[in-house]
Amino acid sequence: MKRDNRNEGNFSSSGSCSSSGKAKMWPCEAEDAGVDELFAVLGYNVKSSDMVEVAQKIEQLEEVMGNVQQDGLSQLASETVHYNPSDLFSWLDSMITGLNPMPEFDSSSDPFLESSTITSIDNSSSVNSHAQMAVDLDFGSDLIAIPGKAVYPRTQTSPQPPAPPPEQHQPQAKKPKTSPCLGNSAGGLHSEPGFARPVESARPVVLVDSQENGIRLVHTLMACAEAVQQENFKLAEVLVKNIGFLAVSQAGAMRKVATYFAEALARRIYRLYPANPQDSAFSDMLQMHFYETCPYLKFAHFTANQAILEAFAGKSRVHVIDFSMKQGMQWPALLQALALRPGGPPSFRLTGIGPPSHDDTDHLQEVGWKLAQLAETINVEFEYRGFVANSLADLDASMFDIREGETVAINSIFELHQLIARPGAIEKVLRVVRELKPEILTVVEQEANHNGNVFLDRFTEALHYYSTLFDSLESCGSGAAAAAAAANSGDAVVSDQDKVMSEIYLGRQICNVVACEGLDRVERHETLAQWRTRFGSAEFEPVHLGSNAYKQASMLLALFAGGDGYRVEENNGCLMLGWHTRPLIATSAWKLS
Amino acid sequence: MAHELQQNERREEIEKRAKFCINDNMDLLIEILKRLDDRSLGVAACVCRLWCALTRNDSLWEHLCFRHLSPQPGGVRTMVAALGGYRRLYMVCVKPVMTRLRLGKVRWGSGSEVERRVWSRHEVELSLSLFCVDYYESVLLGGGRLGGETSPPSSLMILCKAVNV
Repeated sequence: MKRDNRNEGNFSSSGSCSSSGKAKMWPCEAEDAGVDELFAVLGYNVKSSDMVEVAQKIEQLEEVMGNVQQDGLSQLASETVHYNPSDLFSWLDSMITGLNPMPEFDSSSDPFLESSTITSIDNSSSVNSHAQMAVDLDFGSDLIAIPGKAVYPRTQTSPQPPAPPPEQHQPQAKKPKTSPCLGNSAGGLHSEPGFARPVESARPVVLVDSQENGIRLVHTLMACAEAVQQENFKLAEVLVKNIGFLAVSQAGAMRKVATYFAEALARRIYRLYPANPQDSAFSDMLQMHFYETCPYLKFAHFTANQAILEAFAGKSRVHVIDFSMKQGMQWPALLQALALRPGGPPSFRLTGIGPPSHDDTDHLQEVGWKLAQLAETINVEFEYRGFVANSLADLDASMFDIREGETVAINSIFELHQLIARPGAIEKVLRVVRELKPEILTVVEQEANHNGNVFLDRFTEALHYYSTLFDSLESCGSGAAAAAAAANSGDAVVSDQDKVMSEIYLGRQICNVVACEGLDRVERHETLAQWRTRFGSAEFEPVHLGSNAYKQASMLLALFAGGDGYRVEENNGCLMLGWHTRPLIATSAWKLS
Repeated sequence: MAHELQQNERREEIEKRAKFCINDNMDLLIEILKRLDDRSLGVAACVCRLWCALTRNDSLWEHLCFRHLSPQPGGVRTMVAALGGYRRLYMVCVKPVMTRLRLGKVRWGSGSEVERRVWSRHEVELSLSLFCVDYYESVLLGGGRLGGETSPPSSLMILCKAVNV
């Protein structure tokens, strides 16, 4: 291993944002090249010159120990032979190789992981794939262009793209960048808990390089997608396996995103296409969890409601047609706002459209019944009708029984993009909408282009989009720390279950975008600009969402944990909600021109 | 002699004082309670049953929610009552909204913060909407929907967690 850049034997390590969170600090070392004194006191012979490697090894060991699931650690206690513990270096080495957390590793991972921290890979696996790997995967040249919007969640704290130069070098041990070490030698090296946290070093030291693995992960994902595009399925297969264990080396959002994308790619490669979800009750439940954990759906509902409220100003009989009925979560707020409007509430009629349910319950009717109860509680005259339809394109204007003097509003949240798969469907639906003569049509859609013709482009777009989305989910603060804090103040907690369900909800979309084709690929998201063109050519005119909607949306977002990260933007009368700089969903309103 | 007189006077004064019991002067008590903040009301509720009943009176909490605002449009009271009352509105929506949006915190002299609630129409509307959603979720949708969860699911749970934890 190379050892340049070592600064007079002084060094410190800081595992920046490693999953274990802890970083170690080494005592200042004297100029002598002999045995380290502090270690010697504890009975270990460690040459000062070896300190770097020892540091690395300890980081690796911790990483590996952190990744071990069940009782891989018991080996350490009982069976592992510790060769000469006084020789710290080789002892750590033996422990690391003894603790093999991922037995299904391919040695084919070796070329990239050689210089990473996970060196505990068994070198016993097949030679074939290894050879193939060595031949086919020259990542060096391909890896230059990391897509500008970095994908992994830690970029806020990580150094700016370290990717291009290091990748070009032959894989070697990372040179530890040194920084003035902290003279707190009292910290000593007793045992793990004894390590004190170092002050932020000026230049991040890449000893725990989960970041480098993160970069590799992204590149492997892209390379795999490219292989799939070129129909080089053998290569893709190998790459997909690598993604699997590269993903495990990450933590948090990146890991989850990578896992979902890897699964989707695997499905595409092995042609195990996911069946389109038949169980609408389950999908609804997933969406409910998504509704509860993060603000996207709430934003959608509140902004759409505001537009509808304004369109209904002064009208005494109103009829809302909801293409995305689900659990009807949007309507209590609108009913409440209508009840309190000056002049009193109008008489309110709701028509809900939903997919057929596969058990015996009439789900749509149940939702309608509950909304009716709510309306009665707040004294709003309410009427409800539910329509079951496999696709919105099956509907006809005559079904809706629009009455004289009724003001109609049509609402669609994340539904229209599903029509794009069938040719002619969206045009038909927009024609039906025109026939209904609505006062306003509110549309909320994902702000992304996941409908490109080229698979690789779709894949890249989706990777960015869902990474950002998962990132924002991470900030929703569930988990042990938040639970403890909340328990102290006696409040409820967004459970991990909610988060997991939201992730599954998103994971299904990922699977659909990546693995499916043709009519099955329903998640055909398009950008606001594309929708504008569509609506324009269907003779609709945009309605500007006013400042009330903007204010309400901003307030709503401020209420959420992680509210700092969410941004509301106004875009030519439409409102977009995004995470930091990336818009994720867009609300727009339309009327007949 | 003068000494005895003084003692008598003092005894009379003490007796007079003892005759004044706050519980006999309910309107006075209510006036005082009206000026308390939510935490103090909670503490007051623990004093005795009378106080407990008084602090649960919804008009106290209505006052707490909206005392710095111009009179509400008609119908708010009936609606809030139907959806669970002002006390619930305060606990579930108003307080978290105010805390999160850090409405009008003012620092006084010694550094202790006095919260001056500066509500506008928008915060009120938002709180009421969220309250309605909460009612729909917990009363109508809750119970068995998510199969065996201990606490009823609520989209307002996000309001309960501290920001920037």
